[in-house]
Amino acid sequence: MPKNKVVSLEEAISHVKSGMSVAIGGFLSQGEPRTLIRGLLETDATDLTIYACTGGFKDQGIVELVVAGKVRKLVASHIGTTPAIVKAFHEGTLEVLLTPQGTLAEQMRCGGAGIGGFLTPTGVGTVVAEGKQHIELDGVTYLLEKSVCTDVALVRAHAGDAWGNLRYRGTARNYNSICATCAEYVIAEVEFLYNPGEIDPESVHTQGIYVDAVVRSDMSYCGKPLSCD
Amino acid sequence: MQDIKNIIAERAGAELKDGEVINLGIGLPTLVANYVPEGVDVVIHTENGAVGVGPAPAPYCGDPDRANAGGQPITLGPGGSYFDACTSFAMIRGGHVDATFLGTLQVDGDGNIASYEIPGKLVAGMGGAMDLLVGARTVYVVTDHCSKDGKTKLVAHCTFPLTGAGEADAIITERALFRHYPDRGFVLEEVARGYTLDDIAAATEMKYTVSDAVKMEAYGPGKDE
Repeated sequence: MPKNKVVSLEEAISHVKSGMSVAIGGFLSQGEPRTLIRGLLETDATDLTIYACTGGFKDQGIVELVVAGKVRKLVASHIGTTPAIVKAFHEGTLEVLLTPQGTLAEQMRCGGAGIGGFLTPTGVGTVVAEGKQHIELDGVTYLLEKSVCTDVALVRAHAGDAWGNLRYRGTARNYNSICATCAEYVIAEVEFLYNPGEIDPESVHTQGIYVDAVVRSDMSYCGKPLSCD
Repeated sequence: MQDIKNIIAERAGAELKDGEVINLGIGLPTLVANYVPEGVDVVIHTENGAVGVGPAPAPYCGDPDRANAGGQPITLGPGGSYFDACTSFAMIRGGHVDATFLGTLQVDGDGNIASYEIPGKLVAGMGGAMDLLVGARTVYVVTDHCSKDGKTKLVAHCTFPLTGAGEADAIITERALFRHYPDRGFVLEEVARGYTLDDIAAATEMKYTVSDAVKMEAYGPGKDE
């Protein structure tokens, strides 16, 4: 029988130590692992480097880690929806590396897939290209981008089982399934926990072999029903 | 009277071709979905992981797991589906998106687009825009002609960090429509009601030529309407 990976939030999050790199899933509020983020807020871990698509939305999500002073550097594609992150960047208390969304996703995917780097045309002719090798193939100029692996990944899934199999829902998938492959220690929060053997093998998006710890989501953090604001 | 955003969105909607896969940037470009012409079906892709985006849900019926790139709630139309970020950007970068519509801070005569940062002031980040500019077959810049301080966005040379170099194929504002041609650069093809060629020239720094077949009063309400 595969190992039972369901643990408490505290036990899982204790694996994040100061100075570590952390890949965090989510796009704005969608699929953001807020139970894990808020668990991390309660620890002493600091000086973190975070790789994520965005910083959350308004004052919720990854931005809370920044406001708490736990983040040294954020690698993300968009920070415009979290004013506190922009403020910290302008004040010099947070280092930010803006990375095109497709590039960052592919960096993590390659990191988890054992591919050292890849060629993309995205960013040629912009500041993103500075300092990077340019390679021309068949008349097209590409940037050589390196892959990314992190110490820990925090992801959120809609459903999972004790063996770490995960299934995502709607647009909450986004970066979660990719972050789940590129870290040494992967923690997944799940809203619904299947009994062992009950999850349909055809519907598994992230195989349990990638996941080290499963935590049940605190459902009060799943976001309010959206109005059109 | 129709507001500026909707004037631009409606004219942009008229560009849509049947069967196209399109991506609409956050803000003004999302309004283009309201102006799909009669008899034209397009498939809407959203970078955060859905294709076949359908109508907005009823107010307060939004699902937090179903939203677009701006965080607005969505529903899927028939045939729609969800996928991860790598798949999303493989679709974009791999040339499977026919047209992308995005706003901008600046655009210049070489088709350079600067849309994500005013150094020292505004830092939004490029999000998926850099990928969209290189991947989409046709790039439409949809924007008000001038920013809130009255300065033109159609500048001689972009001074803000570029989102893409030489990627703009068309510019649609509430005053004019320009199309980019490889041998000629930007050509002014349409002027909105209530504006003259001199009005456009006075509000536009970027280099362009006027089409021999330029359409005056091509779209939009007049200034007095």
